[in-house]
Amino acid sequence: MDFVGKVILVTGASRGIGAAIAKAFATEGAAIIVNYLQNQTAADATVADCEARGGVALAFQADVTDRQAVDGLVQKTLEEFGKIDVLVNNAFRPYTFDPEARKMHWQLDWSDYQNQIDGAVKAAHIMAQAVLPSMLSRSEGSIIHLASNLVARPTVPYHDYTTAKAALIGFSRNLAMELGPLGIRVNSIAPGLVYPTEASRSTKETMKEAIINQTPLGRIATPEDVSGPVLFLASDWSKFMTGQTLYVDGGMVMG
Amino acid sequence: MTERAGYLPGLDADALQWEAHNYGPREASLLVLLPVLKGEQITAVTQYVRSQACARLKTLPVGQIVDAIDLAVARLLDRQDPYRRKMDNLLPVITGYDREMVHLGLTGYLKTFRKPELQRFLAEDFTNPSILNDFQPLAKGGFGRAFGPDVLGHIWAGNVPGLPLWSLVAGLLVKAGNVGKVSSAEPLFAGWFAQVLAEVEPDLADCLAVVWWRGGDAEPETALLHQADLVLGYGRNESLAAIQSRMPITTRFLAYGHKVSFALVSAAALDPSRAAATARLAAYDVARYDQQGCYAPHVVFVERGGVVSPETFAHYVAHGLAALERKFPRGLLSMAETSGVAAWRHSEEMTVGGQVFGDEAGAWTVSYQAEDTAFRPSGLNRTIRIVAVDTLAVVPTIVAPFKALLQTVGIAAPPKELFALAAALGEVGVTRIAALGDMTTPEAGWHHDGRFNLQDLVEITEIDGRAEAASDRLAPYVD
Repeated sequence: MDFVGKVILVTGASRGIGAAIAKAFATEGAAIIVNYLQNQTAADATVADCEARGGVALAFQADVTDRQAVDGLVQKTLEEFGKIDVLVNNAFRPYTFDPEARKMHWQLDWSDYQNQIDGAVKAAHIMAQAVLPSMLSRSEGSIIHLASNLVARPTVPYHDYTTAKAALIGFSRNLAMELGPLGIRVNSIAPGLVYPTEASRSTKETMKEAIINQTPLGRIATPEDVSGPVLFLASDWSKFMTGQTLYVDGGMVMG
Repeated sequence: MTERAGYLPGLDADALQWEAHNYGPREASLLVLLPVLKGEQITAVTQYVRSQACARLKTLPVGQIVDAIDLAVARLLDRQDPYRRKMDNLLPVITGYDREMVHLGLTGYLKTFRKPELQRFLAEDFTNPSILNDFQPLAKGGFGRAFGPDVLGHIWAGNVPGLPLWSLVAGLLVKAGNVGKVSSAEPLFAGWFAQVLAEVEPDLADCLAVVWWRGGDAEPETALLHQADLVLGYGRNESLAAIQSRMPITTRFLAYGHKVSFALVSAAALDPSRAAATARLAAYDVARYDQQGCYAPHVVFVERGGVVSPETFAHYVAHGLAALERKFPRGLLSMAETSGVAAWRHSEEMTVGGQVFGDEAGAWTVSYQAEDTAFRPSGLNRTIRIVAVDTLAVVPTIVAPFKALLQTVGIAAPPKELFALAAALGEVGVTRIAALGDMTTPEAGWHHDGRFNLQDLVEITEIDGRAEAASDRLAPYVD
């Protein structure tokens, strides 16, 4: 798997899973745009790490739910690298995964849902529209969405978060249908609980143990576990796959 | 591997000079021996074919000739037949076209020469095909019989596999002896067909010959032009003009010169449920035989106003070409072809409102033009210009200056529009309207370049109505 000469845009890549994905592409020689919202220090660290691994990387700040900001992000990317081969929609609205402190259904306001849906689906929609002209000009491209295995198995019912991720998978499949005849592939990755990340740092040991007990491969996913399938879906190894959701959770969800 | 080209009844193969030509990439190359014929040998073989055709072919009823061709074609449709295997294995090496494309192309093409299609071919040109066998009553009174030439000369060109079959079959159906010169670009198919025909119908074995001479050697060509009664020529206009200049004044010459084709897509075909499928068909027409046939599109005019824009349609075509590149990879290009594509691409990039896109390896290129509506030839080898127009009604005016060159137009439009466009295009010289996806596979009995394939080859001998009445007065039964 060689990504030399390929340009990869990863949203929300300053930390956690996004940073792991950026670094994995860098190891394979890609040019990476490390998009971030706030934490420039973390983004710069990811860029430095990418370059240390042999990739080319630049950090660009942009709120991916803001159309104008996204247009600017894509324009800067094209000015620097001339094209975009792969878009990884990884960014999402901040969410605290705490089984004990989560809101029950009757405690939620519609704005909680709307907030998550904007963070997942609106961002994916805006990003896809923005990168499309570049992908169309070569009749190829790969768009990858980061969803969650909670969609298939809501071990903890994080209503707003998981509903938004389910919508993201639906969005991804429809987009796959629309863009297939234009040569662009669209797929999703649905990880289980990934530890350690900012969002999962407060997860209790008992919760992790409970998940491990139901996971055939017997451990919790690391950010690096997620990047492998992302690289696969970005590469020609998966050139005849579109509209798929790959579960990356040690076998907890099958099918 | 070595293969001999040609089919030379009446000549001693061992006494001839053979020239070796290499085809294909070095690791899988094919050596073809081409017979270097001189004027006197052309004269000898043509005279032999003339005598044999007069003695045998002309005495056969046309139905029997149809049966013989049908048998030969059935052999070639059988993928286990040794000649068909040679075609499947060697024609891709000779022409550089993808194997699978050649195999599928041959089957689709040969199918149009089975008995029912041959009968249609005859019926298209003769109300009563028995006119080729005997005198038949004419509508105006009297009787008529159609006679083909004793010798029909063919000068073939290009490398689309099987192309010589059209004129060869036409010649046989009008009972002409046939002497055809193959092109160096594809010298094998015609000879193989002649051998199969000779095997299935020995009566026809000496009624046709497949010859070759070195390009530019006027002596053997002049010999054929002087020996034949009628000559069919294919190829570039300059080569046809050279042939014309050497033709004896008493010999008829039917020239099939360079042609270009294009396609039209109506706004009515551009809705989200159909546009991608329509574009795939257009891409197929572009990819098939790498645009080497005269019926392959060079430009697609796409009408604005549909739900799917001409630009998106261009992207659908692009993906269609990308997908076909995986299914039927484009053939390897010569240096000249590569630079032809590059020059075309460069000139397309210079236009205002143009966008050129293609794969990184350059196996296909789409030039989308939002403003420049000019009709110009593509760079060939899977390069296509897609032009947005406000209405397809402007297209006949755009292409009118090229009247002498126009041939096939692929149209995706509803019936009313199809007929209106066909009328306007016919007026500016277009001779064939096809569905997208069918542009490169003319149906049996089509009028090649608007001409009658068989009628053009024959002369009618008429018995004047009054001659019959007059002879009746001389009959022994006159009271």
